[in-house]
Amino acid sequence: MAVVTLERISKRYPGGDELAVDDVTFTVDDGEFMVLLGPSGCGKSTTLRMVAGLEAVSSGTLAIDGVVMNSVPARDRDIAMVFQSYALYPHMTARDNMAFGLKRRRMPAAERERRVAEVAEMLDLTPYLGRKPHALSGGQRQRVALGRAIVRDPKVFLFDEPLSNLDAALRVSTRNELIKLHQRLGATMIYVTHDQVEAMTMGTRICIMNRGRLVQVGPPLGVYRDPADTFVARFLGNPPMNLMEAAMLDGPTVRVGEATMPLPSRVDPSRLPRTGGRVTFGIRPEDLYEQPPADIAERTAPLPVRVTGIEPLGAETLLLVVPDNTEQEIIARVDRNSTARPGDRVVLGLDTASAHLFDADSGVTLDRH
Amino acid sequence: MRDTLSTRFLGRTVLLAILALYTCYSAGPFLWIASMSLRTTSEISANAYALPETLHWEKYIEAWTGSNYGTYFWNSTIVVVSAVLALTIIGAMAAHCLARYRFPGNRVVLFVIFSTLIFPPQITIISLFQSLVEYRLYDTLLGLTLVYIAIQLPLTVYILEGFFARIPQDLYDAAKVDGYSHWEIFWKITMPVGMPAIATTVILNFINLWNEFLYAVVLITDESNRTLPLGVQKFMGDQLEDIGMISTGLMIAIVPVIVVYAFFSEKLIQGMTAGAVK
Amino acid sequence: MIVFVTPALLMYAAFTAYPVIRTFWNSVHIIRPGGRTEFVGLDHYVELFANDDIFFRAVTNTLTWAGVAPLIDVGVGLLLALCLYARVPFARIFRVAWFTPVLISYVVVAILWMWIYNYDWGVANMLLRSVGLEDWQQTWIGHPDTALWSLIFAHAWKWAGFNMVVCLAAIHALPREVLEAAELDNCGWFHKLVFIIVPMIRPTLVNLLILAFIGKMRVFDLVWIMTGGGPMWSTETVSTYVYKRAFEWNTFDLGYPSTVAAIWFIVVLCCVLGLTWLFRQRDRLEY
Ligand SMILES: Nc1ncnc2c1ncn2[C@@H]1O[C@H](COP(=O)(O)OP(=O)(O)OP(=O)(O)O)[C@@H](O)[C@H]1O
Ligand SMILES: [Mg+2]
Repeated sequence: MAVVTLERISKRYPGGDELAVDDVTFTVDDGEFMVLLGPSGCGKSTTLRMVAGLEAVSSGTLAIDGVVMNSVPARDRDIAMVFQSYALYPHMTARDNMAFGLKRRRMPAAERERRVAEVAEMLDLTPYLGRKPHALSGGQRQRVALGRAIVRDPKVFLFDEPLSNLDAALRVSTRNELIKLHQRLGATMIYVTHDQVEAMTMGTRICIMNRGRLVQVGPPLGVYRDPADTFVARFLGNPPMNLMEAAMLDGPTVRVGEATMPLPSRVDPSRLPRTGGRVTFGIRPEDLYEQPPADIAERTAPLPVRVTGIEPLGAETLLLVVPDNTEQEIIARVDRNSTARPGDRVVLGLDTASAHLFDADSGVTLDRH
Repeated sequence: MRDTLSTRFLGRTVLLAILALYTCYSAGPFLWIASMSLRTTSEISANAYALPETLHWEKYIEAWTGSNYGTYFWNSTIVVVSAVLALTIIGAMAAHCLARYRFPGNRVVLFVIFSTLIFPPQITIISLFQSLVEYRLYDTLLGLTLVYIAIQLPLTVYILEGFFARIPQDLYDAAKVDGYSHWEIFWKITMPVGMPAIATTVILNFINLWNEFLYAVVLITDESNRTLPLGVQKFMGDQLEDIGMISTGLMIAIVPVIVVYAFFSEKLIQGMTAGAVK
Repeated sequence: MIVFVTPALLMYAAFTAYPVIRTFWNSVHIIRPGGRTEFVGLDHYVELFANDDIFFRAVTNTLTWAGVAPLIDVGVGLLLALCLYARVPFARIFRVAWFTPVLISYVVVAILWMWIYNYDWGVANMLLRSVGLEDWQQTWIGHPDTALWSLIFAHAWKWAGFNMVVCLAAIHALPREVLEAAELDNCGWFHKLVFIIVPMIRPTLVNLLILAFIGKMRVFDLVWIMTGGGPMWSTETVSTYVYKRAFEWNTFDLGYPSTVAAIWFIVVLCCVLGLTWLFRQRDRLEY
């Protein structure tokens, strides 16, 4: 049982003139896997370290299970953390690394041994228990660091980019192990990453931060489908969502380049600017079609474009296109059998049900929630 | 909760008290001597710990003129500056060679030089005395300078070699492609790039030699050849029980060091600890 | 190429290697002033081990010093470094101030501490009087029982700052995350010190201990000025003894002190090798 509540948390580093974390509020429910996602320097680590008790909270309330933790020292919070650099004790064997925290909590030796052995078994570490960190591979060190957290059986697990020092293949397999581990332990976990694939695949919810502020919290697909602003829209998804300048016309309709189309169905009409006003129009590459499938044909709008480049990726092809009457290059993800050539003029089908409108100045979504 | 606010506050206070106490212990003697240097001996015998009432600056003039401090400073400066200069060039050349050129015996030379660091000075001092007497270098500044070069050479080479070996090889390869000679490579690559380490050894050698006492006491007898540490010892002997005057004499020796230290404290600290920090 | 090392090797040969060999040669001769020498074989060595009580006194004193002082120096240095590491205000100033004695020459330090130990008006006795411990007053460096320890204390005053700076640098170089991990593993500052910091900066500590040991095995300046080895040989060190036999006593023989020096050279060599072996790092620490 552990619920972590952050209530209007801010952090200013001594000597720093900007807030590293600015008025962040969210709750991590019991057993939840919460991912903190955002670009480098946005304050993810700082937030996590405040939860751990490694940094003091400048203002706001941090509570675990309803108990305010602001002035509780890190070691009394019953939290375990896995660091990006693993932070193993270099002078101790893998076994001692895992047992150290238990020893310091005065657990009897027999119980300690049993726990370490059990966790080592679970992580396939048994053959390496007698080795010191310098004699372990990166992946093994990573698992020792994980084991050190697991044996403690803490209320909350914190991870700060634990996979970023692993090579690509190992990262994928460890990612899947972590997901299984979470299901098995059912513990509350907070996981920091700037890798959106990790965020999408691991999180029960993700929490997107930008410049110290919390931008959006929600389940991965929910956030992908309904981004709260243009920052989230471009941050999640690869290639990112296409954003184009658009004008509001009567009807109401919206005009993008040469194309005039009805308002996307999800838009909240009450928040729209007046006729003639400007908005930002967003459409994901996969919602642009060369030949729209029959089932969505009736809700697509034609978008005449000029092809400027093609990137065949094998499973699909990316078309770089410039809509008529605009200067901006956007990306369409189309079928791999596409025959378009650079310089061709084509008419793409744009799925209006999947399009978004954002405020032209603030970038905030105009969609209904 | 173990760490309540009050215990933390208590810990803080104890910590600060320790810091303050240690600072008194470490800096107090200097302040004491500084205050005595401005008081006359009769004032001091009345109360050794009072602050100066009238500042007897004239004691400094008296101490300087009534002794050979001028000579001592001059001798120390000549010996130390020439030794440090020679050390820097000879040491850097050797370190450059040991770090850059692989020749048979390379590691042996380095190991021999390195192991010299642990030699106690007695093992050489008697025979150095004999040799200098034989070569008529005994009781000369030149003789002392040569000995000073020799005693600091191992540490200098050791520190510089460690640093030079870490200069990227690409730099040297580029220089070779550009047709530099060995000598140009040394002067135009190793010396400028190795400047931080060289500065470090200059500082280390300077301070160690400026304060050197044992070799000086063995190899120098004549008043006109005394270096500063010998001079201070002599001054103390001459003044007998004149505590006030001796304090002034000590301050004359301390002040230049403190002044330099005040301006270059980080550099000096870094230089002095260079042999110990890895 | 080889030209680069030649000057250094020449200096080394002339002023280090040759003197070392000559000292060993001296040690089996009687060397009278004016260069008259006489081969005596191992007579000096026999004499030294059989009859020279002062030598053994000097060895005991020096070994005591070299055994105790490194622990004090490095211990105090480490504790001071930890105090500064605890994010106290003005840490930089403290660090610079505590380092000052390292830069001051032994002659000055010696005179300073002779005064501190002065019976009538020295700081040591003054402090004792002011807290009402008149009975504890001493002629610190004038009494055989206290003289050696007084010197050791003065010597530690000069060197603690040095060890502090080196320890502090080593602690600052430790990866912050490991210390934080220890904090999450329920370590207070004391356990963090014992279980994490000390083991991790162990190479530095060993280095400092050995450096301090070598320094104490050759200690001369401070003793020479403060006590000259007295009273009653109680502060005689091997260095001062060699100096006295060679240049002070009118024995007119440089052979015997060379023997002392040669033996001491071997002792130091063995001790350093032994210490290095004892403290050798069994495997690398990597972080
Ligand atoms: N100890 C510190 N003192 C001052 N400023 C800091 C400190 N640590 C971090 N910052 C600043 O706080 C901001 C947030 O840093 P933080 O480490 O939380 O970023 P992050 O989101 O974890 O980035 P990354 O993905 O690169 O790890 C940054 O602007 C950083 O420069
Ligand atoms: Mg980070």
